[in-house]
Amino acid sequence: MSGGPVIPDFGNPSSCVANDGTFCADWFTAHWSNLFWPALAQHIELTLIAVVIGFAISLAAAVLAHFKGRLAAPVSAVSSFLYTVPPLALFQLLVPVTGFSVLTVEVALVAYSLYLMFTTILTGLREVPEESVRAARGMGLTRRQILFKVELPLALPAVVSGLRVATVMTIGTVAIAAYVIDEGLGSLILKALQSPFNTQFLGAGVLAVALALTADALLVIGGRLLAPWAHTRRAA
Amino acid sequence: MNRAGEGTSSIRTATRRTPSTRARGARALVAGVAALAALAALTGCTSAAAAPGRPTVVIGAKQFTEQWIIGELYKQALTDAGYDVELKSNIGSTNIIDGALTSGQIDLYPEYTGVILQVLAEAKSVPTNAADTFNEAKKFQETRGLTLLKPTPFQNRNAVAVKPAFAKEHGLKTISDLKKAGHVVFGEYPDNLEGALGYHDMVKSYGLNDTELKTLNIGLQYTALDHGQVDAADVFTTDPQLAKGGYKILEDTKGYYGFQNVAPVVHRDVLKEQGPGFAKVLNRVDALLTDQAVREMNRAVDTVRLAPSEVADRFLRANHVT
Repeated sequence: MSGGPVIPDFGNPSSCVANDGTFCADWFTAHWSNLFWPALAQHIELTLIAVVIGFAISLAAAVLAHFKGRLAAPVSAVSSFLYTVPPLALFQLLVPVTGFSVLTVEVALVAYSLYLMFTTILTGLREVPEESVRAARGMGLTRRQILFKVELPLALPAVVSGLRVATVMTIGTVAIAAYVIDEGLGSLILKALQSPFNTQFLGAGVLAVALALTADALLVIGGRLLAPWAHTRRAA
Repeated sequence: MNRAGEGTSSIRTATRRTPSTRARGARALVAGVAALAALAALTGCTSAAAAPGRPTVVIGAKQFTEQWIIGELYKQALTDAGYDVELKSNIGSTNIIDGALTSGQIDLYPEYTGVILQVLAEAKSVPTNAADTFNEAKKFQETRGLTLLKPTPFQNRNAVAVKPAFAKEHGLKTISDLKKAGHVVFGEYPDNLEGALGYHDMVKSYGLNDTELKTLNIGLQYTALDHGQVDAADVFTTDPQLAKGGYKILEDTKGYYGFQNVAPVVHRDVLKEQGPGFAKVLNRVDALLTDQAVREMNRAVDTVRLAPSEVADRFLRANHVT
């Protein structure tokens, strides 16, 4: 090792990048495959895990609360309390227990999604018209059959609306998870703040918004396919 | 909430369709989504199984460019040498990453020798040369089951920067000259307010009585200086934004900011577990990190906007480490 290390020529940025232009499309496309796409994929994955687990828990809790009215108040209280804790504070509380890990992030995300989904699903179940339940009972359906064949199908629009709100909120909250794990679009946003660079900041931000809109649209379409009767257009 | 068709009409339509087909559809959807989630969970947990007898080493790095690069250098050199490593980049402040290390969430991370004494050991005074700073930092870490490997040739010190025009106007050469400038707005990053390198302690020991604090994330000080939002700011000497010129460093006559070479802080058990070759790889990488090399790599990430992983890869190849 004489004369110190070899320093490769790292070249120079394009003039747009050098001047930190508002949005350098050339840089964005050049870094799509090694920067933006991986971050977007991680973002989708983190969101999906949280929403699916949150949905399963909320659905089970809402059905239980629907059967046993006494349970509704405590579950609602706990989930609404969790919902009011600021995300960063919750991450801070969890890190000593679960570390800088995906688990920390997912526990927090699931905790946030419960309140929105639990309340909408429970309201949907409670708003099922009494006469349809009575009719079903009259036809000799069991309590379980009534739940699966009458109540849940009729509550579907409410369930879907809960899923929509929770999904969009989760996509936003995953961006804050970058304070705990170096993943998702939030990580790009955070790093673009720490080393100021508009293109990365804007690119990741716009992708996050586009992801939220796309997820919402997909859920709307899914909801219409599952419950077409709820969206029949009627002449005004 | 579009719940048109509620009430009577929904019962009518509901009785026209057989409920069972809908339930099946809903179940299929739930099953499909669950399967997707399971898949996602599986792909998410692809931490490679460690080589027998050698657990995975988790490297941490702080939340600014230089650390992202050094983290990548360590990770790539160790991976190439056959060690199983993982990198957790962008971990909060000095105290947070130190907590992550002592609690075993990470196994090693690059730290500045002066910072170890000033922030972690909370030393009242710091040594007057780089070698003593390193030795004292190492001694301190060894009281906690940790140790330091060899330090880098380069230093990244804190410094106070002002615009040359501002310096000329008030005749500023040293930090204590700021007293001559009247009311000074000082840019400081949020992680460095308290403690021995912190803003409050600095203004006290230099007797700057008329300063106003403005907290700015690392990397934003330069634009704030350019736009006159702050008059002076705490900067890093290896920062390419500083090297671009247009800033004047005020002399630290008290040696307040100490000596800041980088050395990997590592658990002693981890060194034992991984065997003697492990430290050799890190020492070889650190020996390459001269002022010029680090400044140029920082420039490659901050100015040319290459990914830290790419910059580290090219540097290691050029020096035949990988």
